[in-house]
Amino acid sequence: MTTTIGEAIGFWILGPVALAGGLGMVFSRNAVHSALWLVLTMLSLGVIYMLQAAPFLGFTQIIVYTGAIMMLFVFVLMMVGRDASDSVVEVLRGQRVAAAVLGIGLAGLMIGAVAQSVGVPLAAGAPSGSNVGGLGLLVFQRYLLAFELTSALIITGAVGAMVYTFAGRAKSKAITQKERVAERLRGPLEKFGSRSGPGVFATADSVATPALLPDGSVAPESLSAIIEATARERLGHATELSRPGDEHDTAAHSHHAERGEIQGSQT
Amino acid sequence: MSSELLSQLPPVAPASGAGSAAWILVALPALGAAVLFLGGRRTDRWGHLLGTATVLLSFVYGVVLFFSALALPGEERVRDLPLYEWFASGSLSVEFGLRLDPLSLTFVLLITGVGSLIHIYSVGYMAHDENRRKFFAMLNLFVASMLVLVLGNGFLTLYLGWEGVGLASYLLIGFYVQRPLAASAAKKAFLMNRVGDVGLALAIFILFAQLGTTQYTEVFARIGELSPGAVTAVALLLLLGACGKSGQFPLQAWLPDAMEGPTPVSALIHAATMVTAGVYLVARSHPIYDLTPTGQLVVTIVGAVTLLIGAIVGCAYDDIKKVLAYSTVSQIGYMMLAVGLGPIGYAAGLAHLLTHGFFKAGLFLGAGSVMHGMADETDMRRFGGLWRHMPITFATFTLGYLALIGFPFLSGFYSKDLIIEAALGGSPVRGWLLGGAALLAAGLTSFYMTRLMLMTFFGPERWRSLTPRSAPWDPSLESEAAPQHPEPGHGSPEHYHPHESPPSMTVPMIVLAIGSVGAGAFLVIGERLGGWLEPSIGPVREVEEAVIPTGLVPGIASVLMLLGAGIAYLTVGRRPVPVERPQRVSLPVRAARADLYANTINEKAIARPGIWLSRALVYVDNRGVDGAVNGTAALLGGASGRARRTQTGFVRSYALTMLGGSLVLVAALLAVALP
Amino acid sequence: MGSQSFSDALGVDYGALAPLLIVLGGACVSVLLEAVLPRVRRRSVQLVFSLAVVVVALAAVIIRATSGAGDVVVLAGSLSVDAPGLFLWGTLLALAVPSVLMLADRSVEPGGVFVADPEALAEAQERVGAGSLRSTSSGLPSGTGTDTHGVVGRRGGAGPEPTTPPEMHTEIFPFVLFALGGMLAFSAANDLLTMFVALEVLSLPLYLLCGLARRRRLLSQEAAVKYFLLGAFASAFFLYGVALLYGYAGSVRLADIAASAAGPLRSDALLFAGLALLVVGLMFKASVGPFHTWTPDVYQGAPTPVTAFMAACTKVAAFGAILRVFTVAFGTTALEWRGVLWAVAIASMVIGTVLGITQTDLKRMVAYSSVAHAGFILIGCLAITPAGLSGTLFYLLAYGFTTIAILGLVSLVRSGDGEAGHLSGYAGLAQRSPVVAAALSFCLLALAGVPLTSGFTAKFAVFSAGLADGMAPLVIVGLVCSAIAAFFYLRVIVLMYFSDPAPDGPTVSLPGPMTTVAITLGVAVTLLLGVLPTAALEWAGAGTFLG
Repeated sequence: MTTTIGEAIGFWILGPVALAGGLGMVFSRNAVHSALWLVLTMLSLGVIYMLQAAPFLGFTQIIVYTGAIMMLFVFVLMMVGRDASDSVVEVLRGQRVAAAVLGIGLAGLMIGAVAQSVGVPLAAGAPSGSNVGGLGLLVFQRYLLAFELTSALIITGAVGAMVYTFAGRAKSKAITQKERVAERLRGPLEKFGSRSGPGVFATADSVATPALLPDGSVAPESLSAIIEATARERLGHATELSRPGDEHDTAAHSHHAERGEIQGSQT
Repeated sequence: MSSELLSQLPPVAPASGAGSAAWILVALPALGAAVLFLGGRRTDRWGHLLGTATVLLSFVYGVVLFFSALALPGEERVRDLPLYEWFASGSLSVEFGLRLDPLSLTFVLLITGVGSLIHIYSVGYMAHDENRRKFFAMLNLFVASMLVLVLGNGFLTLYLGWEGVGLASYLLIGFYVQRPLAASAAKKAFLMNRVGDVGLALAIFILFAQLGTTQYTEVFARIGELSPGAVTAVALLLLLGACGKSGQFPLQAWLPDAMEGPTPVSALIHAATMVTAGVYLVARSHPIYDLTPTGQLVVTIVGAVTLLIGAIVGCAYDDIKKVLAYSTVSQIGYMMLAVGLGPIGYAAGLAHLLTHGFFKAGLFLGAGSVMHGMADETDMRRFGGLWRHMPITFATFTLGYLALIGFPFLSGFYSKDLIIEAALGGSPVRGWLLGGAALLAAGLTSFYMTRLMLMTFFGPERWRSLTPRSAPWDPSLESEAAPQHPEPGHGSPEHYHPHESPPSMTVPMIVLAIGSVGAGAFLVIGERLGGWLEPSIGPVREVEEAVIPTGLVPGIASVLMLLGAGIAYLTVGRRPVPVERPQRVSLPVRAARADLYANTINEKAIARPGIWLSRALVYVDNRGVDGAVNGTAALLGGASGRARRTQTGFVRSYALTMLGGSLVLVAALLAVALP
Repeated sequence: MGSQSFSDALGVDYGALAPLLIVLGGACVSVLLEAVLPRVRRRSVQLVFSLAVVVVALAAVIIRATSGAGDVVVLAGSLSVDAPGLFLWGTLLALAVPSVLMLADRSVEPGGVFVADPEALAEAQERVGAGSLRSTSSGLPSGTGTDTHGVVGRRGGAGPEPTTPPEMHTEIFPFVLFALGGMLAFSAANDLLTMFVALEVLSLPLYLLCGLARRRRLLSQEAAVKYFLLGAFASAFFLYGVALLYGYAGSVRLADIAASAAGPLRSDALLFAGLALLVVGLMFKASVGPFHTWTPDVYQGAPTPVTAFMAACTKVAAFGAILRVFTVAFGTTALEWRGVLWAVAIASMVIGTVLGITQTDLKRMVAYSSVAHAGFILIGCLAITPAGLSGTLFYLLAYGFTTIAILGLVSLVRSGDGEAGHLSGYAGLAQRSPVVAAALSFCLLALAGVPLTSGFTAKFAVFSAGLADGMAPLVIVGLVCSAIAAFFYLRVIVLMYFSDPAPDGPTVSLPGPMTTVAITLGVAVTLLLGVLPTAALEWAGAGTFLG
């Protein structure tokens, strides 16, 4: 198994491009940009496959992944709205540094391990027969079980998506605008304002209640200048409510994170 | 010595005939307990009858087994009944089974016999208690566990029963849950028994680890393979277990407190059967003790110290049940002393165990009868002249009393004399010390029991001229004074209406009284018991070179007994007994009243270090463990120093932990693989 | 190529494959039932059908195991049906029976844990006046962390009268069957690619099931998302490891890896780096520390029946795969890598034990205890001997049933309308419900490894196998950790028996027949394996893995 010069040139151009695509996908703030970086990586990989005398696999990569799946991603992102970006404030001290150190360390180890084996003859070989025929044999004979099991995965995914997205309130009557207003007026808070989402510890998500950061402190950008007094008044209460005791290392923390983010985007 | 001993061990035959269904002995009371516990209130009306019937049937079956064993020649009387193999893994195997031999059958008869009587007695005694069903369930549980203990054919089966009786005892001491004293007594018994149980468990572990089995047959056959040090360690650990269960020094303090339980319980568990389990354990393990003179010596010392402590403290108490309890401690000390003496004393110790089972159970039932008639009063200073009001109780109690102090030709006379004779043997120093202690305690026993008799049944009827106790009840007096009852008005003369107890209570007392009179002579004369037990504990050896000629012992013991009784008459019988307890007393009396400071010593020697240890652990937990956890977190997650931040709830910090773990794993494997 | 020769070339042995095919086929049919049946009849039909599938598959396993048919490798070498594999299959299917029963129960919680629309249910109940389901969650002390569902009753909202029982997510049944199928394939997979796909097949339904407690939606979904993210993270490690091993051996078959390792000199760096990454993925599923971090949060957040299913079955499948990988693929190189995994086992035991001490929530405590137990089981896996294999298999069986019983009992103790997870809720439980307290005590004693419970026998088997294979230090650490861990099990028992119940403490709800059967089964097996373990031990030691 020798490498031709053309193959080497192709690899040394496409390899860095694919790597850059991966890094760009991880580090870009905008979801659509991320998706496009990923497209770049996949295109590069597809071309590398073709260079390695696997044209069928290369074209499949481009047509299925880049063409179909990634476009689906981009469509979904557009529908959701490309402004819905994640909060990037890191509240865990040292998290990023440690993650970077550990990640680079692991990468270094793996590079070292693989580099060690460069030159040692590898046992991997191409499938016998033609490109498509070889793949077919693998899929329908050698890895038939894995292939069939994948269908279980897809069924589960489809059913799961339906379970999670279907609201299950089809039978109950839709609430009219008038009823909704009346309900809010007589709502549990006995005043104007919207209720918090189900399952959170918050009692209200009105603008008068400041948002909390995941560590329990008040997010300064959620304080409105107009109703500053109210905010200050409720500040102590809200902070106390959301700061669980040290002995409770439960999953509660991240609710506040969620709540903080929701409110942050509202205000 | 070992080869000589091993040849003595009788062959073990598989059980057949009536013996092959010996599990029924245990199953019957266990079934009773299960029905009563699970049946709930539905069984309230007939539960106590079922409980009594199961124990009675067990007794009947035990008698059948006894006679079928008698019909066998001596060398075939040791039989094993394997029930099931728990698991077998390689060379280690653990199985459960029963051993039917003269020793276990003797205990079966004692347990089921006395157990039946006390069940019958309890039918009357607990008639007005709304928790009677639970009481009987627990009693049945006790009988079943106790039978497992004595019938087991290996240490593991014994341990199962050992824990079972511990549980039943704990439950029954705390039976009157509403009394704080009962709860604390139960807790105390539980804790002190744990100390002993740990010893027993360790001994079993050592045996299992060294020999790969816990079956008696194999352990005793191969005990010689162990190093002498290991044998002594096993012997001492077994002794620790025996001390815990039998209330022997230094773990004796729980037994008197255990009298907070209902009186039938005191009679059955804390006088006749369970507390003798320690004696049984030592006698059963005699092949181990025979190999270790050190272990035997420690057993005798423990026995001698305990019998003196029990007798001395018994002189100071005014609470009728506590006096009897300390008497029990002292008498079990006698038995321990005897079984510690080796082949000379096994039969004597067991004979005393049996006779003691009769007369002490009878005495406790008598005390219960007195309390029944005296509105649960236990303070002897408030009794007096009761013999007119409860003649049957008086008569049976007197017989038990005479048996206990060793009145000639009654039970105690024979069995105690055997022990004293055995104790006087051996080297002169040892003979004088041990024998002297045994003789001295015989005199003391006579003193405190006579005092008890005089204060309870004779003299003026002090309960007629009482002033009500001052309320409120002061719990701080608890350790000093006899247990008192918090109800105001309790203790006025109108409160007491002494009367004889119903037949269901008096009949068992009469039966036990007959036993107290005749059992000793029956068992000891002609070495009936010794001959019967020979397949289990080896032949009885004669005492050699006693420091006092054996023929003189009965005489000396009787003189001491009369002396003790006479002193008691002079100090108690001829003077008026003050109703309130005199507080200005001499130092020895004060010491005896404080249980010879056993509780204080326990507090100082065990509880305090325990508290310090737990405090230290809490400190280490707070500083060390949390600190370590925090440190790890700080290292891996770089999170802030708040407590236990490894579980922050943030998925990214979890992922970081995993990443760190993976990095270390990959690095370590590569480091190992690539030198 | 005729169909006959095609199946011959594949090595299709329907007798051997029957359990897997029954479960996966049943799962597909179950999805169809979901589509076809009217809403009201779905639950009962699905329940009966799922149970039937599990029981028939179990029967197929038993028939196969007793028929004397030898060990075979089927489907072109991707699946190995051998004696330990059959034991694992039997264990998984047997554990699935109580799991399915608990999942389907609706008596403990109105409408079941998987009620589709808790708000509608709450409305209905409020109107009927049969007890309010309205949340008081916002008033709860936030630290308790459990069962905070945010349903705020709608006043005046009109809805249909509750003529039908409340709906539940009946999709859980196909999910469970798919997960079970994945587990069966995972524990019998003979090549790493099949193993990876099976890992995903078993994981995805579990992620979904975790998030289906609609009553406390956010906690539940948070657990699901955490599990999913970390699971994907771990899968990536696994896949990377598979890639490296493929590079090393040129094949993903376990036996080929072993053959390559024994063959001429290759780059050991690839082999051991691959092993390390593979192990990360496997340890994650088995919740071995330090890859356990998901466990407490997911155990606590997931609906309790799902926690039970996960805790019992996932562990069996994961350790089955670990055993197979260690024995078949890396058995020959064990001397080189075993020392490193000693450290992992020690870390797991210590982490689980130390962190378990400070837990105040019972489900979290069980989670940490499962981490510690994973360490104990790993001792058995590391002893690559027949004794280690049979001990581990027995441990998995015993641990699974005990855990299911404990979590079933935990679901009965409720305060307000949620589970009383906090330990303080268990104070004086013996006075409120002696039976529940006794059963829970028994199971906790089994976890602690007290004699005459299955836990003791299992620990004994594993530790003695470890000792025999020269792992004395590891066994000593294991014994010390068991002793420490006994402390926090006993603490619960002491709390239940020796404390006075709080006046406003939780109540013990009367379980319906299904939960009762599940708990009884768990307790009975725990007792049975403790008292008469020999038969199960023998079956566990019936054979060895077939490469």
